[in-house]
Amino acid sequence: MSRCLRVTLGQHSLASTQHANQDFHGACLPSGHVLASKGIALALADGISSSPVSQVAAQTAVRAFLEDYYATSDAWSVRRAAQRVLAATNAWLHAQNMRGDARFDRDRGHVCTFSALVLKGRDLHLLHVGDARLFRLHAHALEQLSEDHRVRLSSAESYLGRALGTGPNVEIDYRTWEAERGEVYLLATDGAYAHLDAAAVHDALARHADDLDAAAAWLVARARERGSLDDATLQLLRIDELPEADAPHPQLTREGLALPPPLAPRTVFEGFTIVRELQISARSHVYLALDSDTQQQVVLKTPSTDLRDDAEALDRFVLEEWVARRIDSPHVLKAWTGDRPRSHLFVAMEYIDGQTLAQWMVDHPRPSLDSVRAIVSQLARGLQALHGREMLHQDLRPENVMIDRHGTVKLIDLGTVHVAGLAEGRHDTHTAAPPGTLQYMAPEYLLGHGGSPRADLFSLAAIAYQMLSGQLPYGLQAARVRTPRDVRGLHYVPLRPIRPELPGWLDAVLGKALHPDPAKRQGAVSEFAHDLKSPGPSFHRSRAAPLVERHPVRFWQGVALLLALTTLLLAGLRVLGR
Amino acid sequence: MAYLAPAEFVTKMVDAGESKLLMSTRDTLIRSYMAGAILALAAAFAVTVTVNTGNALVGAMLFPVGFIMLYLMGFDLLTGVFTLVPLAVLDKRPGATWGGCLRNWGLVFVGNFAGALTVAVFMAIVFTFGFSEAPNAIGERLGHIGEGRTLGYASHGAAGMLTLFIRGVMCNWMVSTGVVAAMMSTTVSGKAIGMWMPVMIFFYMGFEHSIVNMFLFPTGLMLGGKFTLMDYLIWNEIPTVLGNLVGGLTFVGATLYATHYKTGPKRKIA
Repeated sequence: MSRCLRVTLGQHSLASTQHANQDFHGACLPSGHVLASKGIALALADGISSSPVSQVAAQTAVRAFLEDYYATSDAWSVRRAAQRVLAATNAWLHAQNMRGDARFDRDRGHVCTFSALVLKGRDLHLLHVGDARLFRLHAHALEQLSEDHRVRLSSAESYLGRALGTGPNVEIDYRTWEAERGEVYLLATDGAYAHLDAAAVHDALARHADDLDAAAAWLVARARERGSLDDATLQLLRIDELPEADAPHPQLTREGLALPPPLAPRTVFEGFTIVRELQISARSHVYLALDSDTQQQVVLKTPSTDLRDDAEALDRFVLEEWVARRIDSPHVLKAWTGDRPRSHLFVAMEYIDGQTLAQWMVDHPRPSLDSVRAIVSQLARGLQALHGREMLHQDLRPENVMIDRHGTVKLIDLGTVHVAGLAEGRHDTHTAAPPGTLQYMAPEYLLGHGGSPRADLFSLAAIAYQMLSGQLPYGLQAARVRTPRDVRGLHYVPLRPIRPELPGWLDAVLGKALHPDPAKRQGAVSEFAHDLKSPGPSFHRSRAAPLVERHPVRFWQGVALLLALTTLLLAGLRVLGR
Repeated sequence: MAYLAPAEFVTKMVDAGESKLLMSTRDTLIRSYMAGAILALAAAFAVTVTVNTGNALVGAMLFPVGFIMLYLMGFDLLTGVFTLVPLAVLDKRPGATWGGCLRNWGLVFVGNFAGALTVAVFMAIVFTFGFSEAPNAIGERLGHIGEGRTLGYASHGAAGMLTLFIRGVMCNWMVSTGVVAAMMSTTVSGKAIGMWMPVMIFFYMGFEHSIVNMFLFPTGLMLGGKFTLMDYLIWNEIPTVLGNLVGGLTFVGATLYATHYKTGPKRKIA
């Protein structure tokens, strides 16, 4: 039986005696697939005491975070989702300030501190700005995990250095670490933590072991007793159970799905009538089928015999449709839209009537730059749709690109897509082999550095290079890379000698995208597609090709002549000098 | 026993050939060195069994253990890459060229030879107490195996050369069938059984295997065989390599590729 995430939460807030409570807190403990994709979130905000509206800011920040964070794409990582939501909240608060009197007096505006703790899978994520604190409870101490954004002027005077609502942009601290079972975390505002220590927290937990709300209330009361005057808010989180590190992802479960039998034409399978085989390989069987309800053409993909015991490969089947359902781009294959309950493991996708890019390259051995550009820019848009959701394709190759009858280019085979939101919170011990096809793979994968959108860019540029020249940019040298030294040995071979009619800047653009060092490539696939259309001045500046490249024969003739003359001269000197 | 459909294992063969083409020089050399060494050890073992039991069949039945070992460890023999690597070129896999194919064959040849030679020296030391006394019975046998299979062919002239070449062809027909049979199964026991049968056949029938010979003949020379290095190269190794190449490629690689991979439409018998 697999374990699932279980925590106990306690929280309490107490207003100061002088004014309304400017602290605000909240937490969300979802269940089911939301728990798996988004995790548990705690949020705490403290409005500045000089402002009459800061409690509005605190409430807005916490409410907006808890609502909007759970509405973000489940393909996103916690960091990206939370930072996007907080940036929006900050912009709203700042806009409120710019409209009112607070424009001239920051101390009276919508300003608050904000700290949130997210527990997803086995990982904790802290997002923090301001001077609330997150502590981890140890036997004799409270370990502070957040950093106070306070600027100290003197021992008596200090002010808040960073907070939500103070400017159009805010820098939010982020850190993540792996949680341990049994740990207790404490998130508190300054009114509470200034008067508490580890002994008090242990005392509270001993008194109210089963009711952390009561423990939190007891602690806040204790702080007040010890002289706290400000609003005091405290959240306690105890981690009771963590999911197993290598448990199957709950969103990609294959439970209850049988492996499909080999399918023959005209048989009916799960409400589809098989028309014919499209491709049978050692990885998968692909069939053309008709949906019996709608008579629509669909493509069915089932695992091959060889992969029946390979859990990782079978997971990719579930992943492929999961990804396809979340991407809406004309340049990415769509999943089948029906949702009949299934009893077998298979992938159902739209059928694209067309040819693969590999076939296109055979049919068009010397394509014009325009036709290559049209294909590359459509592919770039497809990749952009993936990258925007923090997904990487990872296996871009001509066989995985379809061109339909209308010339629309589509990415197919989403089985190797890396999804940031699915990958985090799991600590799989076995490192996966480099995904995808070696010939088109960016060298950083082969060094074990993992991918980035720039790795997809490399593959895209490699395809562009192959379309234009019929060759791979580094031959098979790039596929044989094992060490950083091998990578330094990769040298871009210009296209010009093979296709002299192509413009000179093209080699500069392709050479940049195919740079072995990802940091030296274009920043994004869209930038590469743009460079292919309107190369900037930096690509034109490249020096004219040296004589040895332009006219190698004449160059060596010249060298030979020079040597011959030198020999004659030396011989002459020898004769004359005798 | 799980069994793959032909269309599946033929794509697997092409994939395997492609991955060998993409292998770095270092990996290719290490893997082929180990393959040559393990196969040589298995050959020494089989000869020992044959001498001790006086029955060549027992030696042949046990010889495949070495082959199975090296296959399961992912090492490469020249006979195997002769069959698999050209398929990647025939299938026009990206970057696959005949030049790359020849490079792979050359590296694997060098690696296999070095591995087999290492074991040959080791075994010569073992059989002669570090060259301090005359070879024992097994050493004696190893020393003279080479004579019949070099000078014996040479004494028949062109007919001998033809026989040698055909024995090379038959050998890799069988050995590569073993490699393919191993791919058909998804379990270790299935792979072992698949490799056992054809390898046993080739060894008992005395077909010429280029890597086994890279061990037998150098050991023979070291243990006092009455033939020269040139006899070995011209009247055995080179024709064997060529025979192995033709056998693996024509009877196994190209046939399976042509009939199961590039299939025409299915025919139905009415």
